[in-house]
Amino acid sequence: MFKRPQLGEWILRGVVAVALMLATVAEAADNNQVPKPSADLENLTLEQLVNVQVTSVSKKETDLFASPAAIAVITQDDIQRNGFTSIPDALRMVPGIDVAQVNGSEWAVSSRGFNNQFADKLLVLVDGRSVYTPGFSGVVWELQDMVMEDLDRIEVIRGPGAALWGDNAVNGVINIITKSAKDTQGGLVSTSFGSDEQSITSLRYGGQLSTNLFYRLYLKYESEDGFANSAGNRMPDGWDALQGGARFDWEPNPNDRFTLQGDYLAAYIGGTAQVPLLAAPYMTNISMVNAKSDGNVVGRWTHDFSPSSRLTLQMYYDHAVEPDVQIPSTLDVYDFDLQHRFALGERQDIIWGAGLRDSENDSPPSFNLTFYPQRSYTQIYSVFAQDDATVVPERFHVILGTKLDHNTYTGFEIQPSGRLLWTPSEKQTVWMAVSRAVSTPSQVYEASRYNQSAFPAGGVPGLVSLFGNPNFKSEQLLAYEAGYRFEPARSWSFDLTAYYNVYHGLQAYQMGAPYFEPTPVPHLVFPETAENLVSGETYGAEISAQWKPLDYWRVAASYSWLHMRLGPINPTSASAGDSPQNQFQIRSYLDLCHNVDFSSAVSYVESLPNQNVASYVRLDLGLNWRVNQSWDIGVFGQNLLQNSHVEFGSYRTPQLTEIPRSVYAKITYKF
Amino acid sequence: MQISPQMQKPASRSGVRRMLAGLAFVAVLLCGEGLVAADAPVASEAQVKAVFLYNFTKYVDWPTEAFARTNSPLLIGVLGDGTISEELKKVIVDKTVNGRKIMIQETGKEEDWPKCQIIFISSAEKTRLPAILAKIKTLPILTVGEAGGFLEQGGIINFTKKDDRIRLEIGLEAARLAKVQISSQLLSVADTVKGKSN
Repeated sequence: MFKRPQLGEWILRGVVAVALMLATVAEAADNNQVPKPSADLENLTLEQLVNVQVTSVSKKETDLFASPAAIAVITQDDIQRNGFTSIPDALRMVPGIDVAQVNGSEWAVSSRGFNNQFADKLLVLVDGRSVYTPGFSGVVWELQDMVMEDLDRIEVIRGPGAALWGDNAVNGVINIITKSAKDTQGGLVSTSFGSDEQSITSLRYGGQLSTNLFYRLYLKYESEDGFANSAGNRMPDGWDALQGGARFDWEPNPNDRFTLQGDYLAAYIGGTAQVPLLAAPYMTNISMVNAKSDGNVVGRWTHDFSPSSRLTLQMYYDHAVEPDVQIPSTLDVYDFDLQHRFALGERQDIIWGAGLRDSENDSPPSFNLTFYPQRSYTQIYSVFAQDDATVVPERFHVILGTKLDHNTYTGFEIQPSGRLLWTPSEKQTVWMAVSRAVSTPSQVYEASRYNQSAFPAGGVPGLVSLFGNPNFKSEQLLAYEAGYRFEPARSWSFDLTAYYNVYHGLQAYQMGAPYFEPTPVPHLVFPETAENLVSGETYGAEISAQWKPLDYWRVAASYSWLHMRLGPINPTSASAGDSPQNQFQIRSYLDLCHNVDFSSAVSYVESLPNQNVASYVRLDLGLNWRVNQSWDIGVFGQNLLQNSHVEFGSYRTPQLTEIPRSVYAKITYKF
Repeated sequence: MQISPQMQKPASRSGVRRMLAGLAFVAVLLCGEGLVAADAPVASEAQVKAVFLYNFTKYVDWPTEAFARTNSPLLIGVLGDGTISEELKKVIVDKTVNGRKIMIQETGKEEDWPKCQIIFISSAEKTRLPAILAKIKTLPILTVGEAGGFLEQGGIINFTKKDDRIRLEIGLEAARLAKVQISSQLLSVADTVKGKSN
């Protein structure tokens, strides 16, 4: 990597850094009387006034402050300042969310424990479309991509959201919401390039077809070289992805809104895997390039019967083709959702809805995985209702709701939730919740065989195979949560959340008696079968604080603590996943001058002993310069403290991949 | 699927902090002569909207019957947003337009509405919006809103947000109905002008 700098160089840098700090402090002192820019604004012409950039402290943040759940929102501003290039990258900033990059393309993301590449207790929706994979639970993060500038926000709810969102919203819900076509008018070209041959180019154009009909079209190309492993050898985990899409928003009248949107992504994703062989050397490393594609179409109609009664109908179709060498799958999902929200009298806010989802998964047998049957058809139908009752106006709310659904594998599931919200003043919020949520099994747990590893078993090959179990039930959670938000002054706010989760019937593989299998060559099978064996509890707390000492300087810090106690079997079993016990981060957002902003983030993630992943500290920096209305230039650095570090192990291979330091520049042109 | 990661040896570490100094250096370059305050101002949404409301008094003409007396103050009503009226108070201190003092009428009471020359209806009043507009759209009042569909429901000027900037939509039909005259300077900065008579 870099040559070690000489002493003189260090001194020069020190001087520059100190000069920068002094200048900033001087500026701060200068502007200490700050919040009075209205005086300047009054002197602006109308033309200047329409070009004043506004900071988005909106009603949404007020709603957030008074919401009865552990919720956080990543805004477009956060994405721009930090230069996030992917959704998991952005999720790192949310307290309590556990984001780990496995290699160049793969991620493990979880909430409140249980992290795994197939973390199955987190529900992720993109514009209302579930991207939770029903064939094998989890989210294929490398396929969830978009033009980052077109994101409106990412809402992250930690803790169960099943009463509204349904199955698998056990430990959290992530809602990725893109902007309406109306808000992305005009053209945008952005390109970023940096270390490891990383390059991303996005093109977007938005226009107006008639007074009330807006559209946007986009194309994005992304490619990256493979990362190195701990031995310093470059791994074949590079990737190329091309994605395109369109969105139309039509508001024929103030009471109706129609949205039609679709995306198509094609990607070549490289990787390595260690796969079993029924002959010496028993385990062998393969390199692979998996061609994956995903297309979807979403249609949504929102109708306001009255200002306090809104109906939303949504349908989508998703088609994902993943001829993964190890876990191949072709998935078709058809989904229909109806939701009606209305005020009942002065004090009741009711939401109810119904949904139907059909999924067809086709997984041809691979070296590792066989599904029985190869083609499966699953269906979920559901109803839900929630009443937000105002007991004392502006002070006290009781929110009761439940989801009732039926799925192919476990039949009926009921997932109720009760919440209390107390807002003693505009500056304080206290909430409490008790919820039940389930994680429904996917076909892997029900009817599959996964050949995990092979070894010489006294003269014949031995093969460890994981089997699904048709009697496998849903994993259950009963969660107790409480939260407190406090804004002692305009420049300070705190958000504290504590939870106690009780789990039953968590999945673990139980070893069975070895048996003989004659084909393809005679060998012994050491079977392990999925069972609802594990129960236990997790508890933890998430604390975050926001401090805005100056109009142009904001600091956000957060700490999350997690403790897991699962048994009877050793919690190193996969069902517990691997999540750090302690995470800490501090982020600073500074508006410098001439439309330059500077963001810095230091985060600490504790070790994952089961995976031999050491704790690490990340330093990420970003510098953005909005040159004028058309041009933005940004320079970003990630993982600046180390050449590289490991964040998470892969299920594919024991070889850990190092996440390298990366530096990249980004240029954006708008017209 | 719960297939555990396979295992290996711990991560290696090392450290060079070139980027930090690099970024600091770029920042100094960009900021040049000693970090002067930003030249294009950044403000809160409420501040910008308040200044717009004040500006409207200068770029809009009301019919004489809009005022009780020739020296009556110009009243701006703010419905449902405390922050905007706070900001507006700071802006209009000691301001006059055409010899009239500018004052704020901060009330949700219906009987006060006809006294106002400008009424700002915040998004918090969304549920009451159609009812409010129905009551006042034929009166000589400049109605200003910040909700989607504001113009369609008979409002005159709507604040929208685009690229983090506050933009204007103006409905001339509604302005004609209210007999308020919007100057061409104001029209020229609007993103959309509906019902242009050409």
